[in-house]
Amino acid sequence: MTLSELLPALHELPRAEKLRAIQLLAADVAREEGDEVMASEGSYPIWSPYDAFEGAATLMRVLDEEHAA
Amino acid sequence: MTTPPPGRFDYIEADPSLGPASALPYAPIALQFGGREIRVSALVDSGATLNVLPYDVGLQLGAVWERQTVPVRLGGNIADSEARAIVVLGRIGRFAPVRLAFAWTRSNRVPVILGQTNFFMEFDIRFCRSQLFFEIKPREKLGG
Repeated sequence: MTLSELLPALHELPRAEKLRAIQLLAADVAREEGDEVMASEGSYPIWSPYDAFEGAATLMRVLDEEHAA
Repeated sequence: MTTPPPGRFDYIEADPSLGPASALPYAPIALQFGGREIRVSALVDSGATLNVLPYDVGLQLGAVWERQTVPVRLGGNIADSEARAIVVLGRIGRFAPVRLAFAWTRSNRVPVILGQTNFFMEFDIRFCRSQLFFEIKPREKLGG
C-alpha cells in the first residue's frame, strides 16, 4: 500500500487517532534508526528504594549482630 | 591470592516489543536459607540503597514472616510496604557464597533487587549498557 492510498483514510481519522498515528510512526522511525525510545504509552516501573538509608543501616546492624553471634 | 575473573552477564529485555529500551541488568543468583536453595533472577540496581526480597520468594526459601522481627523502612515506590530484615547466603556463578541482608517485603510488586547494602559492598560491578552486558566480581579484600 502506498502513502497516496493511505492518506485519504488518515485524513478521515479523528484528531486523537491522528496524534496516535504520529506517535507510532515517530517511534517506528526512531527504532529503525537504532534509538532507544520510550513508547508514549509504555509502562516503566521504578522499584528502587533509592532513599531507604535508615533501612540500609538496619540491615548492616543485623549483619553485624549475626556475624558476632 | 589471585582474583577470579569477573562473571559476565547479558542485559535482559523485559519487553521484546520494546527491544533494548526495556533491557535491564538481571543476574542469576542462588539464594540459600535454612538449608533450602532457590535460583532467581535479580535486578542489579545501583540506585537501590538496599537489597529487596519479594514476599513470595522469601516463602519459597522457607522463611517465616513472624520469625523475622527486625523492621526495615523502605523507600521509592514500595515505601508503603512493610518489610523485615532477613540474612541469606547468595551465590553468583562460581564465586564463593556471601551473606546478603535483604529487606523482605510483604509486596510482590518488586523483583529481587540487589542494592548498595550490601550487594554492592560485596561485589564490584561494571555496567556496559551500550554493549548490553555487565560484569560482577567479588570485592578485593583490603590488606590482602
